[in-house]
Amino acid sequence: MSRSVTVIGALVRRALNEISRVPGAAIPGVLAPTIFMLGLSSVFGKASGLGGYHADFRTFIVPVGLLQGAGFTGAATGVNLARDIEGGWFDRLLLCPAPRATLLAGVVASAALRALMPGTFLLVVAFALGVPVPTVTGLLIAALLVMGLACVMACFSITIALRFRTQQAAPLMQIASFIGVLFTTSYAPKPLLTDWLRTASDINPVTHVLEGVRQGFIGGVEWQHTWPAFVALAGMIAVLGTLAARGLRRYGY
Amino acid sequence: MAVDGIDLQVQPGEVYGFLGPNGAGKTTTVRMLVTLLRPTGGRATVAGFDVAREPQKVRRKIGVALQEAALDLLMTGRELMELQATLHGIPAKKVHARAEDLIARVGLSDAQDRRVGTYSGGMKRRLDLAMALIHAPEVLFLDEPTTGLDPTSRATLWDEVRRLKNDGTTVFLTTQYLEEADQLADRVGIISAGKIVAEGTPAALKAEVGRPHLDLCFDGDADVGRAREVLAGFGEVAASPADGVDLSIGVLEGSRAIAPVIRALDEAGIVVGRVELVEPSLDDVFAARTGSHLEGAGAAPAPGAATV
Repeated sequence: MSRSVTVIGALVRRALNEISRVPGAAIPGVLAPTIFMLGLSSVFGKASGLGGYHADFRTFIVPVGLLQGAGFTGAATGVNLARDIEGGWFDRLLLCPAPRATLLAGVVASAALRALMPGTFLLVVAFALGVPVPTVTGLLIAALLVMGLACVMACFSITIALRFRTQQAAPLMQIASFIGVLFTTSYAPKPLLTDWLRTASDINPVTHVLEGVRQGFIGGVEWQHTWPAFVALAGMIAVLGTLAARGLRRYGY
Repeated sequence: MAVDGIDLQVQPGEVYGFLGPNGAGKTTTVRMLVTLLRPTGGRATVAGFDVAREPQKVRRKIGVALQEAALDLLMTGRELMELQATLHGIPAKKVHARAEDLIARVGLSDAQDRRVGTYSGGMKRRLDLAMALIHAPEVLFLDEPTTGLDPTSRATLWDEVRRLKNDGTTVFLTTQYLEEADQLADRVGIISAGKIVAEGTPAALKAEVGRPHLDLCFDGDADVGRAREVLAGFGEVAASPADGVDLSIGVLEGSRAIAPVIRALDEAGIVVGRVELVEPSLDDVFAARTGSHLEGAGAAPAPGAATV
């Protein structure tokens, strides 16, 4: 067990090391959610007057930006893995005697930590612009859910990377987070959604995660919004984690 | 099918040269033996463990340097070595010392804190080898370790392989270079189209297709008949030597026969203008077994090789 933790730690350090070595590569992913928040709140800021938002539009979409950051980070994890496959590094990883699950956990865990970077930057800008600061519990739950969603998206992109083994599959790796976050109550409360989108958001487990993050910013932390978010997250991690593990077994047994 | 029913056995402490042209199945065989590719049939054991059923145990026993040096170019040599040590379960207290030791062994101490992206091809290869050795493996797989390297880097790697052999490490060396297999391997397996076509010591394999001989050319109007008489005791003198050669004599001792032959001729007043030792090569073995020649045969001259 302790050996697995050591290996996971080493893989996470390697992933974080990349950020310090090539900071330019991380900047777009860090800035993008904040740019989305600023742009969308400027264009659609008055939409909150339609009712049901219970906050100004900027506050309403800050959680969306947090999830977008998690999505970008998760997709980047798959792209980095595809690069490692192309360069042969991944073969070296598979040749070490650590269990496959440990290797997978190391790669996924790095996504969870990296997801805090765009989220932190977004929150700093949002709070500076007057978005109310949530309670510590609200922030903690938001951080855990963002990290969890980054793991989910990382599992998806890793599955794609192991299947196609090329960085050219990057657009496919990003599609899950794009669809997952878009087909929710991301930009409007449920009563304002069209019928089909309302249905989609009901089915979409990311909606629960979004509402779990949002509760800290609008209203307050309530158990009824918290447990569905974590259950949805656990379900997605179970399904996509299994797919990623299966992909890993197929790639190198 | 890249590999078709290969049957081979490598003894502990042996350097086994796995020789064949591009596309013959060398890399596929290695990838199966190192647990990167699941065999679709048959059985293979490495260090006593079945590669399909006990891959984790196999991985603990082997070190692997694949055809392309698989390195993270953003990390420094030292960081990579320490990461590799951690991945292989070396205790944290020993990681640093082990990494330093191996970096020094492959001559990269001065470059250990530079990013690997700045290394030359030879330096990357040496680092790759050092990483493969981090956990002191029982069996080392080297997949075409010198392809594309300059003679100096090649010589360094050859020296390291010899040192590993002396330390008792079993080395499975795939190469398309005849000279490399000839110089380093205790035994050689030659693969063609997924099948082993010849196996044995380089000397035994070459002896199967012919004996070494000396081709001699004399200065001026030397008495070839007299030369025949002088050399009669050294070996069988060919009745009709090749074009441009005055006399051809079989020498079982190979290069060790050159000096005595020249000395004997000199004492008889016959001046030798040119002498060449002609030995059957592993390419001749390959040609005898398959009817074709190895790609790039002779393309990798031995470091420091000279023509007499």
